[in-house]
Amino acid sequence: MKKSVGQILGRTGIRIPLILWTLAVLYPIFWMFIGSFKSNAEIYKNPWGFPEVWNFQNFVDAWTNYNIDTSVFNSLIVTVVGAVLTLVLAIPTAYAIERLNFRGSKFLFTLYVSAMMIPMVLGWIPLFFLLSDLGLLDNIYGLAIVYAVSQLPFSIFVLTSFISTIPKSLEESAAMDGMSPYRVLWKIITPLSMSGIITVTIMNAIQFWNEYFMALIFLQTEDNYTLALAIDFISNEAQYTNAWGTLFAGLVIAIVPVIILYAIFQQRIAKGMTEGAIKG
Amino acid sequence: MVQSKKQKYLFLAFCLLPTFIMFAIFTLYPLFSGLYYSFFDWSGSAENKEFIGIDNYIHLLNDAIIPDTIIHDYFLVVTKVIGIMILAMFFAVALTQLKIKEAPFYRIIFFFPNIMSVVVIGILWTFIYNPSMGFINSGLEFLGLESWAKPWLGDETWALPSLVLPSIWAGIGLFMLMLMGGIANVSKSYYEAAEIDGANEWQQFWKVTLPLVWPQIKISVLYIVITTLNGSFIIVQIMTGGGPNNATHVMGSYLYQQAFKQYNFGYGATIGVMILILSLITVLILQFFMRRDKVEY
Repeated sequence: MKKSVGQILGRTGIRIPLILWTLAVLYPIFWMFIGSFKSNAEIYKNPWGFPEVWNFQNFVDAWTNYNIDTSVFNSLIVTVVGAVLTLVLAIPTAYAIERLNFRGSKFLFTLYVSAMMIPMVLGWIPLFFLLSDLGLLDNIYGLAIVYAVSQLPFSIFVLTSFISTIPKSLEESAAMDGMSPYRVLWKIITPLSMSGIITVTIMNAIQFWNEYFMALIFLQTEDNYTLALAIDFISNEAQYTNAWGTLFAGLVIAIVPVIILYAIFQQRIAKGMTEGAIKG
Repeated sequence: MVQSKKQKYLFLAFCLLPTFIMFAIFTLYPLFSGLYYSFFDWSGSAENKEFIGIDNYIHLLNDAIIPDTIIHDYFLVVTKVIGIMILAMFFAVALTQLKIKEAPFYRIIFFFPNIMSVVVIGILWTFIYNPSMGFINSGLEFLGLESWAKPWLGDETWALPSLVLPSIWAGIGLFMLMLMGGIANVSKSYYEAAEIDGANEWQQFWKVTLPLVWPQIKISVLYIVITTLNGSFIIVQIMTGGGPNNATHVMGSYLYQQAFKQYNFGYGATIGVMILILSLITVLILQFFMRRDKVEY
């Protein structure tokens, strides 16, 4: 009896840090949403409270006067093109490494996976000039290519482990029926590893949507800015313009798609990220 | 159907070559030519590229800012590892061992910052630290500690420590999940046996949980170290830009400043080589020290 009383107290006690951390995570995000509905004067007067009047002026402002419309569009293109290109490049390689026995398959896999641990900053300087020579500097499609290749190691790593769970007998019987290996890859392997493909694509899409530093280096004109750059730009200007409300509206626009994806695919995302990290 | 050898190789090439060519152009080539550029004095245009041997490396050793950037990086590494691991371990144990009904709720909330954009995190926290409107200073005032309030990110002593909190805030969820995965694999019978032997919950943690989730701890620490050394400059760039007075410059942000702001591309590449070498050495050393025989009971 005595023990259970102690345990009940312990259970309650343990909740205090959990609740505190929940507040620490949610409050800033929550408050960012509220801030986006407040006028600048109100943010100054009462930065942490509720707005007196809820207005959408900040969103209109961000959208029309701060180029957010263009940058949302750019971010969408970079995200979609990047994610599709990653799949096109990663699926055949993952299949070949996992299923086609060829000399050097282990080495190739190790080469791709170890690229996850290499600091790419060093590569960004030559990449800058390479893109410039290819006419892909300050070009969102060039950025999409760079993004796609940067996520290849992670994608190949996750996809090979998914493909390894597909029973071999399926491909073998299809090959018996005279199916070409290209069709086996397209008609059998791709649909059967759909779960892995979805996980990888969501992870990559979030990554590309959020990415900041490569965009900062490889994009230069405002018309090509992705959302992350546009927000950073507003943030740097806010010191002089005090357009805090607009800044919050921009942050909200950036985070809402991520929240929606997380709400739908929460388990996939958590699993994909932990697996990606465990490569050790 | 029997495939000819030629067809087989053709298919193999179809699968591997396009991907590898892209990887070689956009990942391997830049890394190696980065190494090559580090031996040049180069401001970006073709005419101004001059081979100077190891002069950049000599300059690196004599650059007074470099040691600071290294110290700043490792300061972030150490504080992040300690902060994240303690909190993540605490939450992981709390959510798995103590049967809390709403555990999935906490898990979902705690993980979310991990998928937020660094831009959003950085700007949000810049505002939290804002000297006049920020939450931290308002909170201190509310508690009657006005004297502790300061312009956090503008203060040479406090700017760097101030960057640790957002990183921990954003990082905990992932490592909590990794540790939870490890704890879930520990068989219940060990705890039952420990309980019969009279071990209290604290002893159970030290004697059972910790040794058995050691592989997850090791991976987590390595992962934090690698991502910090390879990516700490991103949050630095957004929140302080390396200032005030270089007080928060890390290796990566200094590289960015040298290469892309001051057009010393050769010297920037040299800093890049240093980052590469330091992070490889750090990982190797860590792997050596964290090597510990797998525990089995």
